[in-house]
Amino acid sequence: MTGRTYSVSLTVNGRPHTLDVPAHHTLLRALREQLDLVGTKECCTEGECGACTVLVDGQAVDSCLMLAVEAAGAEITTIEGLADGDRLDPLQAAFLETGAVQCGFCTPGMIMTARYLLAQDPHPTRAAVQEGISGNLCRCGGYNRIVDAVLAAAEAESS
Amino acid sequence: MTAGASPFGQSIARVGGVERVTGAQRFTADLKLDGVLHVKLVHLPVGHARIIAVDTSDALEVAGVQHVLSAADLPQPVPRFGPASRDRPVIASGEVKYFGEPVAAVAAESEDAAAEAAALVRVEYEELPGVYSIEEALAEGAPLVQHPDLRGDTPLAHTNLLGEWHFGWGDVDATRADVVIEGTYSFPMVSHFAIEPFATMAAVQDGVVTVWSPIQHPFVLQRVIADVVGLPVSSVRIIAPDAGGAFGGKGYPKYEPLMAFLALRTGRPVRLVLSLEESFQASRRAACTVRARTGFDREGGLCFQDLEADFLIGAYADIGARVVSKASYTASGPYRTPNVRIVARGVLSHTVPSTAFRGFGVPQLAWAVESQLAEAARRLGLDPLELRARNLARKGEDFIPGDTPADGDWEQALRRAAQAVAWDTPAPAGRGRGLAMGLKSSATVSVSNAIVRLHHDGSVSVLVGTSDMGQGARTVLSQVAADELGIPVDGVRVVMGDTSVVPFDTSTSASRSSVFSGNAIGLACRDLRGQLCSIAAELYGEPEEEIRVDGGRVHVHGEGLAYGALLKDYFGPSRGELIGVGRCRARYLPEHPLGGAPSFWELVAVACEVEVDETTGEILIHKLVTVSDVGKAINPQHVEMQDEGAAVMGLGHTLMEHLILDEGGRISNLGALDYRIPTSRDLPLEMATFMVENQDGPGPYGAKGAGESGILAVAPAVAAAVQAATGVRIRDLPLTPERVWRALMEKGLSEQPIV
Amino acid sequence: MRDWTRPATSHDIVSTFAYHRPGTIAELWQLLAESAQGVKLLAGGTDLLVPVNKGTELPRVVIDLKRLDLLRSDISAVGGHLRVGALNVLTDLIGDPRIGRHFPALLEAAAAVGSVQIRNRATLVGNICNASPAADTAPALLVFGAVVNILGSRGERSVPLEEFFLGPGLTVLQPAEIVTSIDLPLPPEVNGSAFVRVTRRRGFDLGTVSVSCLLVPGAAARFGFGAVAPRPLLAVDDTITLGDPDADPTEQSEALDHLLEVSSPISDLRASRDYRLAMLASLSRRALQLAAQRLRSARNGAAA
Repeated sequence: MTGRTYSVSLTVNGRPHTLDVPAHHTLLRALREQLDLVGTKECCTEGECGACTVLVDGQAVDSCLMLAVEAAGAEITTIEGLADGDRLDPLQAAFLETGAVQCGFCTPGMIMTARYLLAQDPHPTRAAVQEGISGNLCRCGGYNRIVDAVLAAAEAESS
Repeated sequence: MTAGASPFGQSIARVGGVERVTGAQRFTADLKLDGVLHVKLVHLPVGHARIIAVDTSDALEVAGVQHVLSAADLPQPVPRFGPASRDRPVIASGEVKYFGEPVAAVAAESEDAAAEAAALVRVEYEELPGVYSIEEALAEGAPLVQHPDLRGDTPLAHTNLLGEWHFGWGDVDATRADVVIEGTYSFPMVSHFAIEPFATMAAVQDGVVTVWSPIQHPFVLQRVIADVVGLPVSSVRIIAPDAGGAFGGKGYPKYEPLMAFLALRTGRPVRLVLSLEESFQASRRAACTVRARTGFDREGGLCFQDLEADFLIGAYADIGARVVSKASYTASGPYRTPNVRIVARGVLSHTVPSTAFRGFGVPQLAWAVESQLAEAARRLGLDPLELRARNLARKGEDFIPGDTPADGDWEQALRRAAQAVAWDTPAPAGRGRGLAMGLKSSATVSVSNAIVRLHHDGSVSVLVGTSDMGQGARTVLSQVAADELGIPVDGVRVVMGDTSVVPFDTSTSASRSSVFSGNAIGLACRDLRGQLCSIAAELYGEPEEEIRVDGGRVHVHGEGLAYGALLKDYFGPSRGELIGVGRCRARYLPEHPLGGAPSFWELVAVACEVEVDETTGEILIHKLVTVSDVGKAINPQHVEMQDEGAAVMGLGHTLMEHLILDEGGRISNLGALDYRIPTSRDLPLEMATFMVENQDGPGPYGAKGAGESGILAVAPAVAAAVQAATGVRIRDLPLTPERVWRALMEKGLSEQPIV
Repeated sequence: MRDWTRPATSHDIVSTFAYHRPGTIAELWQLLAESAQGVKLLAGGTDLLVPVNKGTELPRVVIDLKRLDLLRSDISAVGGHLRVGALNVLTDLIGDPRIGRHFPALLEAAAAVGSVQIRNRATLVGNICNASPAADTAPALLVFGAVVNILGSRGERSVPLEEFFLGPGLTVLQPAEIVTSIDLPLPPEVNGSAFVRVTRRRGFDLGTVSVSCLLVPGAAARFGFGAVAPRPLLAVDDTITLGDPDADPTEQSEALDHLLEVSSPISDLRASRDYRLAMLASLSRRALQLAAQRLRSARNGAAA
């Protein structure tokens, strides 16, 4: 493509990458289009739905609200980076157990937010989880099973 | 039928669950095609306009742009399509009839180039007066949304009425009632807001047009594409990746025909991913105004229901006529009403085409009818629970004369819901409780086919034309097959979503798939079992009647053979497979108002307890309970998940969701910022879903369908509870804090200042 | 909405912008001097990226402030106040025990902004520079007497927050100026503050109306109002009756009504003017009551 691009070096799921991106491309687009990491989803592109949530240096952020160029030097974790080969992350396993997955479109964002929440507080209350995932919209389910899953994972991880 | 633990009735793990939690699941926008061109749509900031000229010259100058298509590029007259009538042009032709109707489509090597070029397409247009509400559309001298010539042979061609339906029985006017409740109720335009925005791709190769779309009804899309492009159905292939939520909004074709033409024009695969805002402009629920008169005798027995329902359809019919007629036909609800008159109208308007939306018109009508019952209970001094119980049709009762009788113990659901909110105890101070019920007709005339292939190693492929949009069809249907063949569910792979591979299925809608596809699979499996007996008889010289298929084995001469072993003996080293075919069809009845009788009834009872902040108007839901009559849950967890999701979606239109139009017909709250849907913080403090399972449905093991009941009656239950708590009666949705506050003010309950 | 009269441009894709990430203030002034129009400063990005993503407003130049050494500091105690730096995000604020201890209403306001994903990126300074009339942190900052520290190519200046906002999206910032920090004067030990608002749903939302209140014994009660005027407002009760637990309730009511007269709410997509007026009055009373309660607790705590 034509137009100015910038070279951005970053680490994604433990692997170093150097990307050439125009300034206006968001981190979300760079992940999906250049790194083929399509697990992170695009929906509202204005920070209202959380479908694009990833971890940037351990912080849960809406990747649609970050320019790819801002991610220079950062360590990004996406949904693809959670499982260890065939071994699912406890959150992933818990989501399956409790029936927290229906269409699955909100799921990657939910799990990344939950990963962050549990890193901040390994023993959250139900209310804290409900508050914590309130930036992730789900239209299929009623959120309760997602909250159940996060609490179940918290318990599994602490034992 | 099967020995050992059958997966039927078990909450087994979701098929495709692992892919969804690891990010491996491929939704339509995640798919990549070599050489694909990215498409962006050009639309105008108007509700209704005449298109004077489309100038693509600047757009074509942008590097990477391959084609800019507008109506002029298409065969003339511009081809039209629609699931019911061919009214919708592939792209806006001469006129923009709704806010968001595409006027041009740019195909370019990159999304950026397409977006850049789309902004450079110059459209000269003249804004025209439009009709954006029922009143405006029906007013004297209102501009016609559709040209009479395109309306076909109908006396309504010179009006904005898409159709008018009359249903009922008895004689309402001749009936005397002790108490008559009258009210006018409104239900707003609501957006599906699936988290996956709409996306589609198309490609042409070797005379075959392939379209990728998260479409719920691949065979409808196949038929429409074939028709609009002028190809035989066998030359059109639809690949339907699982949808990221659909709820009816991805049922019928929207921009796929446009994409097919673009693929044909450019000779390249083309890809369109709508923004969330554009998805809002692509589909919605029909808004509805209901004028209701309900007559009761002094003891609370229903004497008559007199209903007039106007549905605000969009600029094109889509499946609007079906929504209006099907919902209105059962508008009187699950009750025994001796005299019923229903007049329902579908009104065209210059707005986003309304389409199917979970509940298919019933939530709009239940909002009115159930609110009427709540009002009646107050007026008569009766318990709303007993008022309903008294009038509920009993199992087997012919409550809609001549049609499918009541097929469940509906009072059981009602009382279960009431019990769950401790209905027979006084509500805590400051709180109120409400009850409501909802009834929906399931599928009528339709057909599902299933092909079950028993491979030479004993594994099984089940080919069905149903779609999985999150409701778990893949899982449920694999359970049915596994149960029928007596094999572990791991040995079954369900194949969906490719019309070149799977057999015809009418649609994934009306909660029909568990029953129809389930039955078809059952029949196909029985066909297979018959074939197994037959080849065993041939191989081993035992009479066929003495051979049994049970527990995953073929029992011959006292020995139980694995399927694979039998097939090996039969086909020899060059292998083979057995193919079972099944079809489940509901008869087409031309004289029936719905084209066929409902296969089963979907019924829900809802109970809730709320508290209202009388200063701000905010509603706090302490408890929300739904009870669905499902016959037999094939996968109980899946049913619960669907019911919960449906209930929360119902809270959306109850408390906060409504599309707001400005005076020019543009959606003002376009997008996630100002169109609010429930988040995890908007949940009731306690929520529960229950099922009544009496195995009295037409599906496998007495299953009925599920998935829509949860949304049908949330709104009237909450409004009744609000009235119980505060005394205010509100007849318009959503019950936003401001609306509740205003009602309280008018009632004099909220005085300033209050802390 | 797209601009339909946009003239033809070059063949290249121009819907992008230049991006700079200066490491020193001198570089920043240089960049600002070079670029005449269409410059946007980038900190958290939660405001800037929305029009960029929607294609409604594309800057020509984006200057990312996050590498400027001058701005990279933690929340610090400076003299008699707490200094929140330009790059401190709302999550930092919420997690800082000093904010919770001295400025609880500000903590509540910050916690009400967006989601956890937004708060991990959005800066307090960015929130006020965006100057939305509905900025949730503004009412609380106003009652606490926040002061905005501004650095320009020509030097520094400080502006009380109530003079900082000029209108929707407008502040006193000149083209070659940035906000380096916000100072929050520590209130007296014994005080009571509150933050209340009403929204369209319980899930995160812009405030339909938001109110903050600060009571300090013997001093004028201070109120901050959001979403009821073209800019967030500070209203101070000169009569001193509102903070006085022994004052006549009628006089208090009149004093509060008088304070509310500064507001000029409008009807918009989110609410009507009527509702906003009513909620402003009700929420102010709630905020006052809550602040008074907290003041009483603080008094009892101090006395114990």
